[in-house]
Amino acid sequence: MSGKGGIIRELRQSKTLLLMIAPTILFFIVFSYIPMIGVYYAFTKFDFDGGLFGSQFVGMENFNFLLKTGVLWNLTKNTVLYNLAFILLGNIMQIICAVFLAQLSGKLFKKTAQSLMFLPYFLSWVLVGAFVYNLFSDLGVVNSVLKQIGLHSYDFYLHTAPWKFIIVFFSVWKGLGYGTVIYLAAIMAISDEYYEAAKIDGATIFQQIRNITLPLLKPTFILLILFSLGGIMKGQFDLFYQIIGSNGMLYDATDIIDTYVFRSLTVNFDIGMGTAAGLYQSFFGFALIMIVNFIIRKTNKDYSLF
Amino acid sequence: MRKIKKRWTLLVSLSMLASLLAGCGGSNNGAAEKNNPATSGGNASPSVSEATATKEPLKKVKLTWYLVGDTHKDMDKVMAEWNKMLEKDLNTTVDLKFTTWNDWQTKYNLLLTSGEKIDLIFASSWADFYKLSKQGAFLDLKDLLPEYALETWGNVPKDDWGSVTVSGGIFAVPNTNPEYTPSGYVYREDWRKELGLSEFSDLNSIEAYMDAVKTKKHVTPINGMVYDNVNVLFKSWNDFQMIGGNELIAATSYDTPRDIQIVPFTDKYEAWVKKMKEWADKGYWNKNSLSSKQEAGDFIKTGQGAIYWRNPSSAGGFINEVKSKNLNMEISYFPFTRFHNYVLPTLPSSNAMAIPKSSDNPERSLMVLDKLRNDPAYFDLMTYGIEGKHWAKGKDTKTIVIPAPGVDLNVTPRFDIASWGWRYEPNMLKEEGGWDGLDKLKEEFKPISKPDIFGPIYMDYDPVKTELAAVNQVFEQYGKPLMLGLTSDVDASLKTYRDKLKSAGIEKLLSYVQEQSNQYFDEKGIQ
Repeated sequence: MSGKGGIIRELRQSKTLLLMIAPTILFFIVFSYIPMIGVYYAFTKFDFDGGLFGSQFVGMENFNFLLKTGVLWNLTKNTVLYNLAFILLGNIMQIICAVFLAQLSGKLFKKTAQSLMFLPYFLSWVLVGAFVYNLFSDLGVVNSVLKQIGLHSYDFYLHTAPWKFIIVFFSVWKGLGYGTVIYLAAIMAISDEYYEAAKIDGATIFQQIRNITLPLLKPTFILLILFSLGGIMKGQFDLFYQIIGSNGMLYDATDIIDTYVFRSLTVNFDIGMGTAAGLYQSFFGFALIMIVNFIIRKTNKDYSLF
Repeated sequence: MRKIKKRWTLLVSLSMLASLLAGCGGSNNGAAEKNNPATSGGNASPSVSEATATKEPLKKVKLTWYLVGDTHKDMDKVMAEWNKMLEKDLNTTVDLKFTTWNDWQTKYNLLLTSGEKIDLIFASSWADFYKLSKQGAFLDLKDLLPEYALETWGNVPKDDWGSVTVSGGIFAVPNTNPEYTPSGYVYREDWRKELGLSEFSDLNSIEAYMDAVKTKKHVTPINGMVYDNVNVLFKSWNDFQMIGGNELIAATSYDTPRDIQIVPFTDKYEAWVKKMKEWADKGYWNKNSLSSKQEAGDFIKTGQGAIYWRNPSSAGGFINEVKSKNLNMEISYFPFTRFHNYVLPTLPSSNAMAIPKSSDNPERSLMVLDKLRNDPAYFDLMTYGIEGKHWAKGKDTKTIVIPAPGVDLNVTPRFDIASWGWRYEPNMLKEEGGWDGLDKLKEEFKPISKPDIFGPIYMDYDPVKTELAAVNQVFEQYGKPLMLGLTSDVDASLKTYRDKLKSAGIEKLLSYVQEQSNQYFDEKGIQ
């Protein structure tokens, strides 16, 4: 069944199916695979006359700037850890909210709560950045309250410690409504028969949640986690850029690859170096998802992505 | 059909007229016109039609121009009027676009690298003009200029062309508006008088002023974004002459150009950052100043700030704005040139217009630029806005009134797009009733002017670009907080800063800068 004949026959047999998937394939070819040619920029010294292939080949030289200051490890660590926190905390909070919302019976309250939770999702990070600044600056809300109740004010912008929590908090807060809806949909898909049977057996609400809802949400949870892991090396640039901006005091705890690259390139615009950093990021992300998927496939084959 | 015929007749008659004029000395005509712009101000000047009418009729072209900075809310109206004239004279329309000031540098670079079709763009030594020219972003205009921008080719001084020449090619048309743009502070003069403080003359007087503003007025002297405000004071007070657009490597003074050092490694720097720690602790600026995104000047206007860094002409703009908005305050200006009693003229290449390689119509674009620079009708409209709305004629032909009578500046703000690239002094108009300090400063600067021996040093950085990128990161992360006295232990953070700079390769960068500078100094015979 292998070889050329097999492929042609297969193509002919599933003509309609292939036709249906063609737009998607085309989309990925045009928007994901063709632009990949640009990766070659990472190995050239760009000049306007030569363009992509005419520019001089310089090998790995463009990657040097990432290694030079020795910050690469810190950046990678920050990027991965922040994203892990966003993904795990975010999903857990979303599940909790979804489960509670599903149990609520008052329709008006349920709708209102859901809308309010969803609202931050539509705010731009620019606005959130302004909120954060007005909350934590010298004359901000938090410091004013601290002073009012007779405590010392705290210079948030001079210490790295609080920012880890502030950033994670705002990321989770912003994505909460969106994720909750996904989990809520998954909960709604669970057949009522399970719950009825559980009720007849005399299970409390908490027992129902623990033994029916949560186990049935597990596939959704794992799928979403896996999907998010693909982007674990991609920092949320707008989040960090808008909240931290150009405050060097906080970089140790808040600098991620994306913001570092952005700064390098605004100061010293260089296509080669920019592409090199992007390539490093993609490569690392690719390796990471392969490893995670491998582990999952070993432990529980049904849940693996591929 | 009839319209075309009519045009042809006009053209033929014009060309006859032109050849007639050329016969009796067309060049004189051009010169006379330059000296007397008022007479030809209203209608299209004949001298340019003369050049075009003798050629084939121009085919219709749409150009795209880019400027840095923000647009004006009446830009569409201005462009509509401008294009009307342009279409008639050169059968061209221009689509003028802006990068906005927000992240302008990134956008500017991307516009050029992405190969977007642009026919003319603002270029400047502070927008990587030399680096981009070397990389081949701009078109060499050497051969096009005498043919398509003859008037400009003639009236830009030879030295100015030299300043935009990179390895033999001319890559931009520089502005022709010699000026001085040293740093200085605008400040609340009324508060200084009220608090009985002496006038600014040195660091101590500035410190005393800030102290009084903080303790007696309970206002943060430098509010909002602070870094640049402190950095310019640092450079000017210590007479550091930064070389090659770099914030870290400088000659230690104007008189010792060959003594090039790494600024953060000097004793002066150490003493300075210790002082800044004191200033920061005393609350001369906020602890969150690095995260603030508001200009210090905006706080002055609302009475919440006292000091703002400006050059003389932008100080003039600031003071005029405060005046015309009737804000109840007196603003004065102190140029840092008084610290060391000399001033450097601004390089012509710091404001210029260039044609990117992607342009489809470089010839036409040059023709339009030539017209913009030299025809007062075009120049005034693009530089000052619509007459009767944004400005009105003053008491003589060289002065204007802003805004036009009966126009509210709060509704129709000043027309202040980044027109620097095409400015041509004979066409510049003076604002009546504006801040008179500018002229006084010009008088003050003239006798103490010294040639700029640092600006023209061309730095490519290509052999050390890895080090430069790394060093800039270190500077962003450690240098800026240190300069603003935000770290808790100055000695420790200074040590970290220096160590990080070393490991980022600043010494390699230094020897590169020294080598390039010495090469230039040798060439020019500067010791």
